[in-house]
Amino acid sequence: MEPTKEKSYWPIIPSAIALGGVMVFIFATFGPPASSSGFVTTLKGLLQPIAPEYIAGKSHYRMMPGPGSWLMAFVLGMAIGGFLAGRTFGREVHDVPQAWQNRFGSNKRRRYAATFVGGFLILFGARLAGGCTLGLFLSGSTQLAISGLYFGAVIFIVAMLTTRLVYIHKEDSHE
Amino acid sequence: MNDIWLGLGSGIAFGFIIQRVGATNPQKMVLAHLMKERYIPQFMLLVVMIAALGVFGLEAAGTGTTRVLPTSLVATGLGGVLFGIGWGLSGYCPGTCWAAVGEGRMDAVFALLGGLLGTAAFAQLHETLIPALYMPTNFGQITLSDWLGSPALALGVLLIFFGGGVLLIGRLWGPQHD
Repeated sequence: MEPTKEKSYWPIIPSAIALGGVMVFIFATFGPPASSSGFVTTLKGLLQPIAPEYIAGKSHYRMMPGPGSWLMAFVLGMAIGGFLAGRTFGREVHDVPQAWQNRFGSNKRRRYAATFVGGFLILFGARLAGGCTLGLFLSGSTQLAISGLYFGAVIFIVAMLTTRLVYIHKEDSHE
Repeated sequence: MNDIWLGLGSGIAFGFIIQRVGATNPQKMVLAHLMKERYIPQFMLLVVMIAALGVFGLEAAGTGTTRVLPTSLVATGLGGVLFGIGWGLSGYCPGTCWAAVGEGRMDAVFALLGGLLGTAAFAQLHETLIPALYMPTNFGQITLSDWLGSPALALGVLLIFFGGGVLLIGRLWGPQHD
């Protein structure tokens, strides 16, 4: 593990009040927050100049706004927020997490291939379900939506099983 | 134009907080999913509880915008299974990977690229998959309030259920690792 004398993460109760407040602010000023939709918006912006007929003919792109939108600004804002928080945190980031290294070694390419596949699956799954951790689970459950509660239960159970299968062996023998 | 500034400001605040709580760190996500570290799942449930109270207040005051997504037994469930595999494998979800890219995590850059490809693949198949998987078991925009007959009662049930979840995770999951 990393040395323990580094800056520590925020305690969860004040953080949850802060993020819950941000969520309510978003509901008040825009509507339910979402981030997997931001991928559709990004892609629409990237493909529009290259293949305008394709974009115009596909309902998944038609149902989402283009880059000049709240959604696009929100996901870019997330990256900026992550940048500012990371820069002022004083803790080094690792391209390969320790748990992955313990199991598969420090080969970066292998880790990048895995996160590429993981990224493909989270977005394909989110677009099929209609949203992600934020757009479906957090936003949905906040509105007492059955879709959000159901999706939340499925993703937690499956992610816990997957993590167990992928990461467990050496992770344990190293402790 | 106003929307852009609101979206940008909301995104910056959101990304900042999730980095500070450790949700952009895939190591912490793995520890959470292995039940070794309790903080991120507890945090997520607390966020829902607080936001649900706030949105209930907004609705009582007749303001804000809500939009409930429909529940499709097959598509919401199958989407969740694919999502769960990807989340478990990578330790990232669609929102956290943007903030993690900003934080400078190279594996998150690949998660984001994979995500763009996954989005493109789904968009290509939308016309086939939505009628085949989503529509047949679509129950519409159902909520806990519809089931229980009263929004206040539904909110109470959610708070008890999620509050219980926070306590249960505190019992079953381990303490913070670092």
